[in-house]
Amino acid sequence: MGAITLTDVTLGYGAQIAVAGVSGIFAGGATTVIVGPNGSGKSTLLKALAGAQPPQAGAIDRGELTRRRIAYLPQDPGVDRRFPINVADFVALGFERRLGLFGGMGAAERAELAAAIAAVGLDGLEQRPIDALSGGQFQRALFARVIAEDAPLILLDEPFAAQDARTTADLLRVIQRWRSERRTLVIVLHDLALARTLGDETLVMAREAVAWGPTDAVLTPGHLQRAHDVSERWLVEDAA
Amino acid sequence: MIAPEAALIAVRSAAAGGVALAFGGAPLGVLLIARRMSLSGDALSHGILPGAAIAYLLAGPNPWALTLGALVAALGVTGLSSLLARSRRLPEDAAFAVIYLSALASGVLLLAHHAGPEALEAMLFGSPAGLDRNGLLLAAGAATATLLALALFIRGFVAESVDPGFLRAGGRGGGWLHVLLMMLVALNLVAGFRAFGALMTVGLMMIPAASARFWARGYAGQAATAIVISAASSTMGVLIAARAGVEPGAVMALCAASLFLVSGLLGPQGGLLSAFGLRTRLAGRPRAS
Repeated sequence: MGAITLTDVTLGYGAQIAVAGVSGIFAGGATTVIVGPNGSGKSTLLKALAGAQPPQAGAIDRGELTRRRIAYLPQDPGVDRRFPINVADFVALGFERRLGLFGGMGAAERAELAAAIAAVGLDGLEQRPIDALSGGQFQRALFARVIAEDAPLILLDEPFAAQDARTTADLLRVIQRWRSERRTLVIVLHDLALARTLGDETLVMAREAVAWGPTDAVLTPGHLQRAHDVSERWLVEDAA
Repeated sequence: MIAPEAALIAVRSAAAGGVALAFGGAPLGVLLIARRMSLSGDALSHGILPGAAIAYLLAGPNPWALTLGALVAALGVTGLSSLLARSRRLPEDAAFAVIYLSALASGVLLLAHHAGPEALEAMLFGSPAGLDRNGLLLAAGAATATLLALALFIRGFVAESVDPGFLRAGGRGGGWLHVLLMMLVALNLVAGFRAFGALMTVGLMMIPAASARFWARGYAGQAATAIVISAASSTMGVLIAARAGVEPGAVMALCAASLFLVSGLLGPQGGLLSAFGLRTRLAGRPRAS
């Protein structure tokens, strides 16, 4: 259920190749962690899974999942923090997928909104403008919006980058809840300990897929060294 | 010389039109500032001048023809500037500068050459008798259409402003919302043209919106405040201009600017007095027992 199948997917920006010929299956109802060195195509692959970047070659089969049923949190979502909007209204943007741009919130959505805000520990700050939030609080608000989206497929790009220990712990709890709800998750991480905690499966990227399978079997020093070597080789080729 | 009663009626209808324009223009101004597009109102008001000028040459000072001409021109310049911006060679504001200045220049030449300096001056700076019955209807219609569109699409406008990538990721481009916003701005500008002029009408939209940021934090509060300030500016402007016998456009803009100064001084959201902590000092004063 809910699996995504990649067939020889190549992604890039013009002549610059970011992902080369990746094939495999993101298992439905499981959490797949993507790791790899900087510039190894992790974020580009995630963006393509979200449907925000069409493949240059190959195919991405999302089954019955439309883009509207995918929640995608980029590492830098490009939110204009200075727009005059408070936490509650910002989180409620997550309902857009369900209600469209016209539908009004009903009692059910209002209850869900309160629950989503509480789940990330922002209760009491509903009326605070988003430009008055700290970095950690804003990341919590972004997570609350993903909760509101209630999507069967959730894509997170480095969700803990630059977050302190307490924020990370609280947001991990949210992710664990999504896992227990059998949602399909794909998470880009650089922290290998977190990858071991969260990943049912792991994909090691170095523009190509170096290894892809159960986390215990994949997250080995050998594979990581190989990812490093392949990345270096790509860099040399780029420079040539 | 206009008979005194006629002059009085003209002043009254200009004031009423100004209030109607406040209801449409001010909430749009708040949205433009929040989207960091403050200059696009100015730019658009220059950009639609050739459309209004051609309509004026073809149909005379008919408000419906002017509106149509302005909307067609607005569509043209909005499309052209996003095309230029999409080429990635130019930042969007640079594209604005090129297109809108060329448009202003051609509008000025068209009017000066074919309609004469008086028509040009009235178009650029407004005229005290600018809002007749049709003009009033247009101003009220523009305000109604704007408030209706904001009520229907406000979530979309907000989503597209705060996080455009979020809408795109959901498979909904927000591009049509941008075009709709530009059309609404053009509609409100042209509705104010005849009373306040092509160069000054935008002041009724942007200056009160900028002032409102000193009074409220959320969009709704800022929009409501901006409407009040905008209506006050245009009413004051029309009355003072009638008394002094000058065009109302510039007077209105200066009235709005003086209310901006007051807001910047007294407004609780970052106004000068609140920044100096006067309010907290007053609030913290020990109470008489």
